[in-house]
Amino acid sequence: MNSPAQPNRSEQMEIDASAKWPVLVLFGSAVVWLILGGALQLIAAIQLHTPSFLADCEWFTHGRVAPAAQNALVYGWGFNSALGFGLWLMARLSFASLRHGGWLIVAAKFWNLGVLLGVAGIMTGASTSFELLEMPRFVTLLLLGSYGLMGAWLVTTFTLRNTENTYASQWYLFGAVFSFPWLYTLAQVMLFTAPVRGTLQAVVDAWYVSGLYGLGFVPVALAAAYYFLPKILGRPVANYYLAPTAFWWLFFATAFTGGSRLIGGPVPAWLATTGAVANFFLIVPVVIIALNLFGTLRGAATGSVTVRFIRWSLFAFLAASLLNFALSLRGFAITAQFTLITALRDWLLLYGCFSTAMFGAAYFIVPRLTGHAWRSSALITAHLGATALGLLLITATLGWAGWEQGRMLNHAATSFTDITKALTPWFTAYSVGLMLLTIGHLAFFVNFFWSLGARCPVTGDATPAVFRAPPAMEVPSA
Amino acid sequence: MNAAPDHLSGVEQSGATDDSLQHVHEHLLHHKPEKPHGYSATPLLLLGLMCTVVFFGSIYLAHYSARFDPLAYNENAKPSSGKIEPPVVTPAMLGRRVYNNTCITCHQTNGQGLAGVYPPLAGSDWAQGSEERIIRIVLHGLNGPLTVSGKEISSAMAPLGTVLKDDQIANALTYVRQEWGNNAPEVKPETVARIRAETASRTQPWTAPELLKLGN
Repeated sequence: MNSPAQPNRSEQMEIDASAKWPVLVLFGSAVVWLILGGALQLIAAIQLHTPSFLADCEWFTHGRVAPAAQNALVYGWGFNSALGFGLWLMARLSFASLRHGGWLIVAAKFWNLGVLLGVAGIMTGASTSFELLEMPRFVTLLLLGSYGLMGAWLVTTFTLRNTENTYASQWYLFGAVFSFPWLYTLAQVMLFTAPVRGTLQAVVDAWYVSGLYGLGFVPVALAAAYYFLPKILGRPVANYYLAPTAFWWLFFATAFTGGSRLIGGPVPAWLATTGAVANFFLIVPVVIIALNLFGTLRGAATGSVTVRFIRWSLFAFLAASLLNFALSLRGFAITAQFTLITALRDWLLLYGCFSTAMFGAAYFIVPRLTGHAWRSSALITAHLGATALGLLLITATLGWAGWEQGRMLNHAATSFTDITKALTPWFTAYSVGLMLLTIGHLAFFVNFFWSLGARCPVTGDATPAVFRAPPAMEVPSA
Repeated sequence: MNAAPDHLSGVEQSGATDDSLQHVHEHLLHHKPEKPHGYSATPLLLLGLMCTVVFFGSIYLAHYSARFDPLAYNENAKPSSGKIEPPVVTPAMLGRRVYNNTCITCHQTNGQGLAGVYPPLAGSDWAQGSEERIIRIVLHGLNGPLTVSGKEISSAMAPLGTVLKDDQIANALTYVRQEWGNNAPEVKPETVARIRAETASRTQPWTAPELLKLGN
């Protein structure tokens, strides 16, 4: 471990070979959950404008299907894809192969069993009342245990690295992998094992949700952006010397943002105010990250699918950060808080920022693991196009509808029925947006499993990088 | 075979090895990009941004945290001075309790008395008249007949001078003189004490002619 190794292509292929099955199993599970969770999410969205849809089926009543969809997307799609990507990238950047990968596959199976039981528990009516902790309590230890195994692998791979250097993506992955067990155990203990009383429960849950998005998923997306942009474009990150500052500011400030989810809610004023101040502090890392990554992107020919997905991810990250900041301003929050705009902020973090980054990562990683190309370029184009359209449509819809909703809610003379009626066309547009995304997911799903099955050799000038000596990255002159 | 490079099919090309990625960035971590001409404003601007954020954040926190009071739910709550404002108690409020314990049986809640038996206090010329007379009535009682607000009453009132203290009598009378639309000045305990001393030898209840001689 201590010798500064000069890894060559065969070593890189060795790393990819060691990561192949664990990462493919995680990605495969993630894609299946993406389809399932997306379908549940679509059902929940349709019920918002057509309440009779599946209303006679107990399992699919809105109160069950909405949290089930969210949990399937977060724990099913989110964790599987984040761990698959994280393990591969950590192995690559640490120049260390994933040892004893069989254990990872076992852990992944148990994780997915836990998520399946949890989502089924929610749909059969055994859910709890806390956002993103709705899964019944019997899956808690299963999830923690199997996560612990996969997280330990990621940390071990980092500690056994064959290089003295560490890269920004590794910092973000390392931070993200520790945040979940910390957040999850504390939330479980404070809400279920030894529950705190009254208002404090809402505070703990808000802290958990904001931490899961801000310290779990966003750093993984940033790890992808910090890796793939210089890797594919062949140019170093602009102003890279600022990246450590951004990393530390981001982690410390985000840990305090939980209270800002409750601005205007029935909580002690200082909690909400502290959260708002933490959101002000986040301006610094967001500006640095934008300088780093958009600086790298500037003027680059972005023919790459991965880079295009990452670019959407960065736009969503900026938009979500902007919304977060605006929601901390009391003048804006008085209208926008507790409307579809807060839902938009969460959706931009989980889907806009994180999921698109994972799509981009998968398009880069999977061919290197399987050794052959994606089966259909048309399906890739369809996925990219559907994602872009869906992102724009849903952002516009939820943003505008949320503002209207907030205005009407603040107007005492407007009845709740009128608000619901006024929002119906917007909810319909939201469903259309989700359908677009579902088309993209289906294209991804088909392409993924089709490529796994069919041996599709790489042809023409699209020579896989893994079979070719890539150019060394040069330090820019001066 | 398509002649134009189809970047979507096949595999993403990578522009650099992981090894060069690590090495280049390790170097960049400790070396700012130098500007051949002029001065890079980025670090200075970022420092300014950091200071602004910390400054603005601190002011905001101090202004809207309600001093981290766990019970303050309104961020604009004013600081409590710690002193509790004593409730305002008027003689009439204290007198109401005396009235409800002692006088209410005959003169009733509404101060109307009972027609022909117990004289009304509401709108009464006696009650709102000379305090010299009514203090004496309470101290030593009254033997009818008498005319109240133009109506003949023939009845007696028991002496209460031994039951009630000076301030209780003063408060009860103040209550009667300011309740039910009555509007007469309050009765001071000192006045009651003076009259009690002046009439200390009196053992019999007063009569209306005697009291009317006292004038105003």
